Amino acid sequence: MPQTHAPRADGARSLGQASRDTAAELRAATAARLRGAHRAGIRRARLVACVLVLMLLALLVASILLGGVKKIPAGDVLPAAFGLRTGLADYVIFRIRLPRALAALLAGALFGLSGALYQRLIRNPLATPDMVGISAGAGAGATTVLLFAPAVPFGTSLAGIAGAFALVATVLALSRHGGSVDTYRLVLVGIGLSAVCTAYVNYLFTVAGQHGIAQVMRWLVGSVNDATWEGVSTLAGALAVCGLCTALLGRSLGSMSLGDQLALGLGTRVGAVRIATLLVGAAAAALATSVTGPIGFVSLISGPIAVRLVGADRSVALAVPIGAVIVLGADVLAQHGPVISPVPTGVLTALLGAPYFVWLILRRRQGATT
Amino acid sequence: MKQSASPAAPPTPTPARPRAPRTAVVVVLAGLMLAAVTIASIGLGARDISPLEIVRILLHPGAEGYNGDVLWTERIPRTLLGLTVGAALGASGLIMQALTMNPLAEPGVLGVQQGAAVFVVLGILFLDASSVQGYFWMALTGSAVTAVLVFLIGTRTNAGSSTIGLVLAGVAVAAVMSSLITLLVVRDEAVYAHLRFWSVGQLTGRGQFLGQVLPFALTGLVLALPLGRTLNLLSLGDETARGLGIRVERDRLASAAVAVLLCAAATAAVGPVAFVGLVAAHTARMLVGADHRWSLPLSMACGAVLLVGADTAGRLVIDHVEVQVSVMTAFVGTPFFVWLARRRDLVRM
Repeated sequence: MPQTHAPRADGARSLGQASRDTAAELRAATAARLRGAHRAGIRRARLVACVLVLMLLALLVASILLGGVKKIPAGDVLPAAFGLRTGLADYVIFRIRLPRALAALLAGALFGLSGALYQRLIRNPLATPDMVGISAGAGAGATTVLLFAPAVPFGTSLAGIAGAFALVATVLALSRHGGSVDTYRLVLVGIGLSAVCTAYVNYLFTVAGQHGIAQVMRWLVGSVNDATWEGVSTLAGALAVCGLCTALLGRSLGSMSLGDQLALGLGTRVGAVRIATLLVGAAAAALATSVTGPIGFVSLISGPIAVRLVGADRSVALAVPIGAVIVLGADVLAQHGPVISPVPTGVLTALLGAPYFVWLILRRRQGATT
Repeated sequence: MKQSASPAAPPTPTPARPRAPRTAVVVVLAGLMLAAVTIASIGLGARDISPLEIVRILLHPGAEGYNGDVLWTERIPRTLLGLTVGAALGASGLIMQALTMNPLAEPGVLGVQQGAAVFVVLGILFLDASSVQGYFWMALTGSAVTAVLVFLIGTRTNAGSSTIGLVLAGVAVAAVMSSLITLLVVRDEAVYAHLRFWSVGQLTGRGQFLGQVLPFALTGLVLALPLGRTLNLLSLGDETARGLGIRVERDRLASAAVAVLLCAAATAAVGPVAFVGLVAAHTARMLVGADHRWSLPLSMACGAVLLVGADTAGRLVIDHVEVQVSVMTAFVGTPFFVWLARRRDLVRM
């Protein structure tokens, strides 16, 4: 306090001049420091992104090379990847392992994206698609179509999106409170409505014939076991579209993190951006869920890890590769981990994610919430 | 508030007096409802048996024919099991709510049933448990461990209020538990088939467990009945209760033990059934108010009516398909849960 007022000792006449000078200096210094911090932040984000991409590549290679039931000699893998080998190697690599690895990677990316979007928008690490019930709604929709109208092209994906949107609309409508959405009420209502969807899927499980049971199972525990190229293309399209939308929303989200009033002052259309973000997040989670089933807790973990690594401003972009690393890593572990394998991927993410969730709710509030 | 005000207008007896006839009405109504669902559960089912025939079979036990078999080996034990389990869940829900002072507390919501399920799986896998008695001891251990875990986590959260903290802790623990279940059973087809049948809570085909579960459930219910007064005193808060000469820690522990016993017995018998305790406890309190001496037995009755009613409805809603009772209660209980979660006073306690 006394130091900042030091120029005032000069006297009344020069006071205005002096404080203007110091103000200008201060502004310049702050701007320089901010620029420096910005640059350092970008450098750090680049570094982290590079590390994540390397991890992803390593996991992809591991996922393709590590043997399942059929051992493919490592020497055959590379030729097969370029289409130089036919037969078993080609079949195993192209029909089974590669789509599986890509599906895990893309689904993880989508879960990470949607989780980070929701966490950034609602400003609470608990407000993720899992908690709000989007995954359960998507599962209920997708399972219904799978069992009763399996022939409709892209039927499961569309039904998944429809179920997710219906559920997120219901949850938001039910958790409104005097014009604003209360996070904890949101989570509680989400838990309740998820229970209904789970009960419905459980019910479908009992009416499904032998053929349908495997498919319903996938919606009880998420798994990438029978990923196909069709699923991979759905996921890739979803990631492209949702990623583009997120990039367009990015600046508005940034200004909204300053608070609604400031954001309005900066010319952001707060209401529209909020709805658009909710829709993009719901679509990302719903599409991923419609292909892989609910792979739990990925959307919850990715965002806070990203915030930890690079700060809140770039967390949404970075949550994408982090989610991909988590699901692909969990899938490699679920397939080949000692003692436990093979298990559905969703089991492992829940086992890793739920304790983290506990830590999240146990942590004392110290302003470090997203 | 002032000391002088209390002798002039004693606050407690005044509302209690007009409530007495109402309580009588409620008790009669509860009895009628219980009778109604019992009759419906015995009389209705996939196989049409005329009421006259049913009366005749009931009057001449051990008589003849397929209809007699259906009644004596399936519907009657199933109904009795439903009544017992429903009562146990209702009592357990009310006690948990009273102890945690949390309107959302319930064995299903707090993950206690999932904990019981994990231990049942462990029992099947490693201890060769195959009878319901075997299940029971595993379920009891699992319920107790999970209850302690959820309580420890739930009371230490940053979630704004312990109400929400407990629910979040319950969800997290339930997620871990169900992952553990999948992890344990995923490679063992036989155990898996068994567990699949068990882990969707249902009364179908569980009638034969009645005799094995009854001792535990009845013990729990008998132990629960006199808890009303204790719960009343505990709900005044620790300081006041201690001032009135209650040994708070001991009584709370004893009440919790009874709640866990009831939940374990119910879960061992029929598998996890969520929301029955929640709905029963709130219905009971709505009908007779906060006095646990009345609401506790009424919660048992409500739980029994709800479970048996849901089970009977599940047999009838779709032709040739039985919808499991846990699915039915989820459809009834969730709107209730959401309604509670929306209440203004809940989120900011």
